[in-house]
Amino acid sequence: MAKISLRHVEKRYDDVRALSDTNLEIDDHEFMVLVGPSGSGKTTLLRIIAGLEQASAGEVYFDDVCVNDIDVGERDVAMVFQNYGLYPHMSVFDNLAFGLRRRMLATGEIDRRVRDTARMLNIEPLLNRRPRQLSGGQRQRVALGRAIVRHPAVFLLDEPLSNLDAHPRVQMRAEILKVHRSVTSTAVYVTHDQVEALTMGDRIVVMNDGRIHQVGTPGELYDHPVNRFVASFIGTPAMGFITCAVRRMSDSVELASESARIRLDDRQVRALSDCAVARVAVGIRPECFLLATEEVARGADIAVRGTVQVVEMLGAEQYVHIAVDGGAVTARTPRDQSVRIDDAVTLVATRRDLHLFDAETGEAMIERQTGK
Amino acid sequence: MPTRADDVRADRRKAESTRRAARAFQAVVLLLALAWSLAPIYWMVATSFKTELEAARLVPTLWPHDATIDNYLGLWTGSLPFPSFFLSSLTTCLVTAVVSVLIATPAGYALSRTQFRLRTSVGYAILVFRMLPLVVLLAPLYLLLLHARLLDTHAGLVVGFTTFGLPFAVWMMKSFIDAVPIEIEEAARVDGYSRLQILLRIVGPLILPGLLTTATFVFMEAWNNLIFPLTFVTTLEKQTLPAALVLSFTGQFKTDWGGMMAAATVTTVPLMIAFFAVQRSMVRGLTSGAVAGA
Repeated sequence: MAKISLRHVEKRYDDVRALSDTNLEIDDHEFMVLVGPSGSGKTTLLRIIAGLEQASAGEVYFDDVCVNDIDVGERDVAMVFQNYGLYPHMSVFDNLAFGLRRRMLATGEIDRRVRDTARMLNIEPLLNRRPRQLSGGQRQRVALGRAIVRHPAVFLLDEPLSNLDAHPRVQMRAEILKVHRSVTSTAVYVTHDQVEALTMGDRIVVMNDGRIHQVGTPGELYDHPVNRFVASFIGTPAMGFITCAVRRMSDSVELASESARIRLDDRQVRALSDCAVARVAVGIRPECFLLATEEVARGADIAVRGTVQVVEMLGAEQYVHIAVDGGAVTARTPRDQSVRIDDAVTLVATRRDLHLFDAETGEAMIERQTGK
Repeated sequence: MPTRADDVRADRRKAESTRRAARAFQAVVLLLALAWSLAPIYWMVATSFKTELEAARLVPTLWPHDATIDNYLGLWTGSLPFPSFFLSSLTTCLVTAVVSVLIATPAGYALSRTQFRLRTSVGYAILVFRMLPLVVLLAPLYLLLLHARLLDTHAGLVVGFTTFGLPFAVWMMKSFIDAVPIEIEEAARVDGYSRLQILLRIVGPLILPGLLTTATFVFMEAWNNLIFPLTFVTTLEKQTLPAALVLSFTGQFKTDWGGMMAAATVTTVPLMIAFFAVQRSMVRGLTSGAVAGA
C-alpha cells in the first residue's frame, strides 16, 4: 500500500527526450491507467516507477520516501510484463514461488500463498505445468499471479492484455479489476488502448510525446479534454473536427466555415471575444450528431453539410464518416437511416456538445458546459 | 475430340513430369556433392582396414580385399605412444572448452545485456581477431609462451587453443543470451534477485544447451588444430593426435598408410560424435538473431 509521487521526473536517452518534466500523484489503492500512443513515454514512466530505469532528473516517492536509489528488488513492487516474462524452465508453482523464496518465507507459508493465489486465478490445476504448455490466457493469469502472490505495495502492469485475443482480453480486464479490489495495492496500468483505459481506470493519465497532457477520471477526460490531442485520443470513434475562422464584431463573435453554421452560446462568445485566436477547431463527438433534413437544420444550433466517405456497419448502429470543408467528422447513427457513399448529408448537433480548441496550439478554449 | 478437361489434365501431367525431372536433378546434384565430401572419409576408413602391402599398391583397391584390424591393434600395441597422443588431445581440448565457456559466458552476457560506450566496437574487435589467419598468431604466441615458460606444455597448448577459440565462443554465447527475452531477467530483478543470482538461476539454465554447443564447438576446433601443437610442443609423447599423425606415420623412406588412416579414423570419431550431438543447436546458435523471431 503506497502513494506514489513523481516530481519533475525526466528521462533522456542520449539526445532523445523520452520523458520531460513529469509530475504525478497516484493515490493509495488507486487504479491509475497510463494511456497514449506508442512512443508517448508511458512505459518509460512505468519502468521508472518500477526502478528498472533510472530517471535522468527528478524524484520518485513512495509514501514520501524517495526511492530513486532503492533497487527494484527492494521497492516492494510487482510487475506484469507485456510478453509475460515467465521463467520458462520452472513450473507454474515455482514461477509463483520464486519471488517468495527470495524473501525467505517458510515453505509452508509459500505453499499456502501460492495455492491461495492460484485458486483466486483459477490456475490451480496448472501448478505443475511449464509455461510453454499453457495458452496465452493461462500464461497471463500466471504472470498476474506471480505479481499478486507477493502482496506488493505497488502493482505495475505493462500492456498485459495486448497479446490476448479479443474475447479473453475482455474477460481478463474484469479479472484484473477484481484482483485489484481484493489485494488493495496501488496499481499502475499502461495501455495504448483507450477503451481499456476508460473501462478500467479510477483515473487516467493521457500521455503523448513524453509528456502528460491530462490527468482525470474517465468522465472528466471524455467531457472536458484539455486539448485537441486528448479529445481525439479518448473515445471511439474519434471526435470530429472542423476548422473555422473567428469573426469578431462589435457586440458578437461568429465562427465561419463553408460547410458549417454554428450558433454559439454566451459563454462561448465571451471566451472567444476575450482572446485573439484567429481560427478554432470545433470538435463534436460522433454520438452528438444527428442526420437531419434541411428544414430541421435551419432551426438547429449547429448544422454541418458534407459528403459521406465511409459507412461502417456495426450491427445495431453505423459509423458514418463524412468529409466536410475544413475537416472531417464522424456520426454514429441508427442503422435504419440509410446513407450511401458520396451522399450529401446534413448533420445537426446542439451547442452544448461543442468543444472549442485553438486551431494553432490545440488547447481547449473553454471548459465545456455539461448541462448539469 | 479433346475436351477442356482433357487439356487441363494434360497440362497437369506435363507440370507433374517437369516437377519430377527437377527433383531428380536435385537428387543427382546432392548425391555428387555428398560423394565429393564423403569420398576422403571413405578412403580413410577403407585404407585403415587394408594391409600394409595393399595400402601401398600403385593401383589402389577400392575396398580392402584382405580386410584386417591389425592397423587398429597396432595403435595400442605398437611402438608409438598412441594412447598418450589421444590423452593429450582429450585433456587439452576438454580444458580449452571449459575455460573458453567460463570466459565466454560472462563476456557474452556483457556484450548482450549491458550498456557501455564502445560496446559494439568491442564486440567487433573481438570478432576481427577471429578473422586473422591462424599463422599470424603463431609467432607472437610462441614468444609469449616462451617467456611464460609454457612451451612444450599442455597448459601452453590450452592457452593457444583458447586464444583462437574464444572470440567465436563469445559471439556464440552472446547470441544465445540475446535469445533469452530480457523481460525474464527483469521479472527476476523485480522478484528481488541480484545480477549474479539471475545469471546463475535464470539465464544459466536457459542457455545451457547453448553453453554445451559452444563448448563442443571450441572442443572441435581445438581438436582439429594442427599447427599450434606442431609449433609449441616438441616432446613427441606430449603431442596431440593431428600433430602426431603427421610426425609419426610419415617417414623418410616409407609411409605407414594403414596405420595412419587407422589413427586418423580414431581421431575423427570423437569429433563426429560431438558434432552429431549438438548439430541442431549449433545451427541455431550460429543463425539466431539473423531472422526476426528466430
